[in-house]
Amino acid sequence: MSIELTRNFSIIAHIDHGKTTLSDRLLEHTSTISQREQQDQLLDSMDLERERGITIKSHPVTMRYESKDGKEYRLNLLDTPGHVDFSYEVSRSLAACEGALLLIDAAQGVEAQTVANMHLATLQDLKVIPVINKIDLPGADLPMAKKQLEDIIAIPAEEAIEASAKMGIGIDDILEAVVERIPAPEQPDDDLLRATVFDSIFDTYRGVVSYVRVVSGQLKRGTAIKMMSTGKNYEVKEVGIFTPKQSAEDVLKAGDVGYVIANMKTSAEVKIGDTITESKRPCPKPLPGFQVVQPMVFSGIYPVSTDDFEQLKIAMGKLQINDAAFTYQAESSVALGFGFRCGFLGLLHMEIVQERLRREYDMDVISTYPGVIYQVTKTNGEELEVDNPSFLPEAQVIEEIREPIVRVFIMVPNQYIGEMMKMVLERRGELENTETLDEVRVMLTCLLPLNEILVDFNDKLKSLTRGYGSMDYEHAGYRPAKLVKMDMLISGESVDAFSSIVHRDKAQARGRHLAAKLKEVIPRQMFTVAIQATIGGNIIARETITAMRKNVTAKCYGGDISRKRKLLEKQKAGKKKMKAIGKVNIPQEAFIKVLKTSD
Amino acid sequence: MSETTVQHLYFHIPFCAQICPYCAFYKHTPGKLANAAFVEALLDEVVACSKDYEIAPKTLYFGGGTPTLLSRKHLERLLQGLHERLDLSALVEWTFEANPATYNIEKAALMCDQGVNRISLGVQSWHSETLKLLGREHSPEEAKEAFGILRNVGFDQLNVDLMFSVPNQSLEQWEVDLEQVIAMQPEHISAYNLTYEEDTDFFKQLQAGRFREDSDEDALQFRLAIDKLETAGYHHYEISNYARPGAESKHNQAYWAGRDYLGIGPSAVSTIGLKRWKNVADTADYVRQMREEGSVGKDECEVLTPDQKRMESIALQLRTAEGVSLDVVEMNGEVDRQMLIEEGMITEGGGRIVLTEKGKPLADTVALELIG
Ligand SMILES: Nc1nc2c(ncn2[C@@H]2O[C@H](COP(=O)(O)OP(=O)(O)O)[C@@H](O)[C@H]2O)c(=O)[nH]1
Ligand code: SF4
Ligand SMILES: [Mg+2]
Repeated sequence: MSIELTRNFSIIAHIDHGKTTLSDRLLEHTSTISQREQQDQLLDSMDLERERGITIKSHPVTMRYESKDGKEYRLNLLDTPGHVDFSYEVSRSLAACEGALLLIDAAQGVEAQTVANMHLATLQDLKVIPVINKIDLPGADLPMAKKQLEDIIAIPAEEAIEASAKMGIGIDDILEAVVERIPAPEQPDDDLLRATVFDSIFDTYRGVVSYVRVVSGQLKRGTAIKMMSTGKNYEVKEVGIFTPKQSAEDVLKAGDVGYVIANMKTSAEVKIGDTITESKRPCPKPLPGFQVVQPMVFSGIYPVSTDDFEQLKIAMGKLQINDAAFTYQAESSVALGFGFRCGFLGLLHMEIVQERLRREYDMDVISTYPGVIYQVTKTNGEELEVDNPSFLPEAQVIEEIREPIVRVFIMVPNQYIGEMMKMVLERRGELENTETLDEVRVMLTCLLPLNEILVDFNDKLKSLTRGYGSMDYEHAGYRPAKLVKMDMLISGESVDAFSSIVHRDKAQARGRHLAAKLKEVIPRQMFTVAIQATIGGNIIARETITAMRKNVTAKCYGGDISRKRKLLEKQKAGKKKMKAIGKVNIPQEAFIKVLKTSD
Repeated sequence: MSETTVQHLYFHIPFCAQICPYCAFYKHTPGKLANAAFVEALLDEVVACSKDYEIAPKTLYFGGGTPTLLSRKHLERLLQGLHERLDLSALVEWTFEANPATYNIEKAALMCDQGVNRISLGVQSWHSETLKLLGREHSPEEAKEAFGILRNVGFDQLNVDLMFSVPNQSLEQWEVDLEQVIAMQPEHISAYNLTYEEDTDFFKQLQAGRFREDSDEDALQFRLAIDKLETAGYHHYEISNYARPGAESKHNQAYWAGRDYLGIGPSAVSTIGLKRWKNVADTADYVRQMREEGSVGKDECEVLTPDQKRMESIALQLRTAEGVSLDVVEMNGEVDRQMLIEEGMITEGGGRIVLTEKGKPLADTVALELIG
């Protein structure tokens, strides 16, 4: 098929505005899948994605569509993740497109993520087609949605297509608009092979499967290819397109989106954003790559059983190939043994990685309290980046510590502005801008330390606004702050897993909270246990676990003896699994409970 | 007497007039089962055991259930039958558990005549409210009367069982209980912390939140018992047991020392060497099996490893005034006791480890540390 008849596009939307439903409808309408095969939310293929109703991975699919002009087009749809944490995946998919459908829920209107995604699309120079979805809803407010489209997104309302993905209304119009409004891909006029790898997965049986967009030239079985970043050569074993499952084709040509399987064995061999060219006739220079994604959130992940370290390492390697944004590096902790310091895009990303380790790799892990990456200037002028509180230098050799700041877009109904502002200020934030969206909503643009929105900002926003508020953020550089390292001491011994970098003004509250939490989960011992939060040796909070007063079986006669022994055997096994901090024995669950729920 | 001679026999009489809501023993109301056939089954089991083991009892212990619930006639047959079947020449202690209001002067005299020389009386409390909660059908007065009968008949080895940390039982009430028992001058007193055993009504109440466990409160009541009873001349010789010098229960001491014993009757447990088993816990099956097969089905058979035996020795002997020998504790190598000594939980001397007053209420925690 010629490149003029190819269209590459994405759907971008705020979560729940109907992206997945619309994708399914498009597949059905183009008979890519029959209605009989149809299973709701076809593209969300990971269990996790279906359960949470979010798309985590990109899911390309190729459709054939016979347009009103009588020609058959090849439409490549790149479904994209729908959560702020994964905006890098969005930009990667968008980079492989010439256009995008911007979906707006007719009842909800423009949301924070709509704005953020629109921003990404504009950066990529995409042709944006606005679609107002869910017009079948009784609460649909078309004039409102259109006004917001003009006011906030700056697209003329006449361009909007009215649709209901659920009822199948407007689907034809959407497909026609894709053909008419989105330009065909362009290609350099030599016919040298250039293909961008925009994603990859690891298949246990087939090895590395690279998702590519062919920009020029062609790829087929037997082609000797070269990965431009590594200079390594491979032989193509199979090429194909997504229908949406992988289906082999003879050849992938310029403009095509599909997959390539070469004889790559390990995840390390393919780099997202790399350019594939032909070994014999390489192109002169690689295509522009993607910006390397920087993890923003860090946490230690440790195997619950120390024997599982090697297995965890293997699992992490495999995860990484499907998830380039995830980083890991071996580290060790006195309390938790050997594990990894991991980098994530955000909290959801972290949760998902942990969940996948559990489900797909059957790993039992503990993760430490999440933190961000700090920039430190020492008094001798040395610059450091610190993602682990243990590595923060002593206070007296620190000139300055800077923390990452984010610009947060928050949309809230008017009546919640006061409470919302209070929350922003409590979290050391400041208001940059307020914009009235319509009669009932405003958009607050705030600057906040990333650290402050890490754990529960989104949840709190949702509960504060009864679900009507939404947020998104972008990175806004680093800023100096009065940050200190807080340690938790148990019976005088510092427990590295509980150390954290906190703002001076918040240290006491957090210290108290952690101490109280630890008191709750550490079982009483035969002696009194002091729990202290300290900064540079000064105690800022303390709790005491009083000594256990009585623990003795009442009756030990003939029939009781086996029972008593079995209990001892069980307790002995339990004790083996405890971590000894000095003379205090702490069950593993206590670590998990504190690390999981601390806020 | 050879190494393998069994010197300690336990008899389980599973009948109770009424079922106490905290009790986890195998027991039931007598129904038609408390009959001659049951008594014959017990005697037959003794004979069967004599074929496998050389038996020369030093101690006999009749527990339950409520052994005194057997009728006079059945009791007489049982006791006489034992004299006929066993060589009792070495016997030094023969205990019967008894509950107030389950015997009269004739039954008491019969036991005394037949050689029973120690009675353990299940009084539990001197407060009628507490007795009611515990599901005991006797009154405080009946308990005193029952005690008097035993004395009058001539028993000079009497134990009284008491219970503390019963719901709604205040420290003051417990003190009164202790004073009353001291005034009666039994030779031996057992004071048990109420235990919520699984599969009991009390356990369910605890789970449902109607009862509450408070180990700090338990500790206070335990301390009070030790102080008052020691002051009154009773030696605290095991966690739950106090005795006038020389009046310790030799049968129970045999358990704690890890000696061999045979259990006769439904659900009774035996331990010989490293082997342990339990008779079938069903009275009807027990009687039928004895009659038809001449032997009883064994449940929960186990062969202890030396390590398990060590664990039990530590757990049991640590509870006693003599403590546990260092040789047992360090059977497999050194065990770090520094922390226990520093915290004042144990003292060491003469090759034995003994709990301190501070260590007594934490005996199980200390045992776990010593097991290593
Ligand atoms: N009434 C109505 N509901 C829709 C429509 N499109 C999607 N939905 C529903 O909106 C919810 C979110 O849809 P989904 O496609 O998962 O949104 P996504 O998060 O953007 O992928 C689902 O319950 C859909 O059934 C529509 O056109 N009309
Ligand atoms: S009398 Fe004794 S054996 Fe019988 S139910 Fe009560 S506590 Fe249990
Ligand atoms: Mg979706």
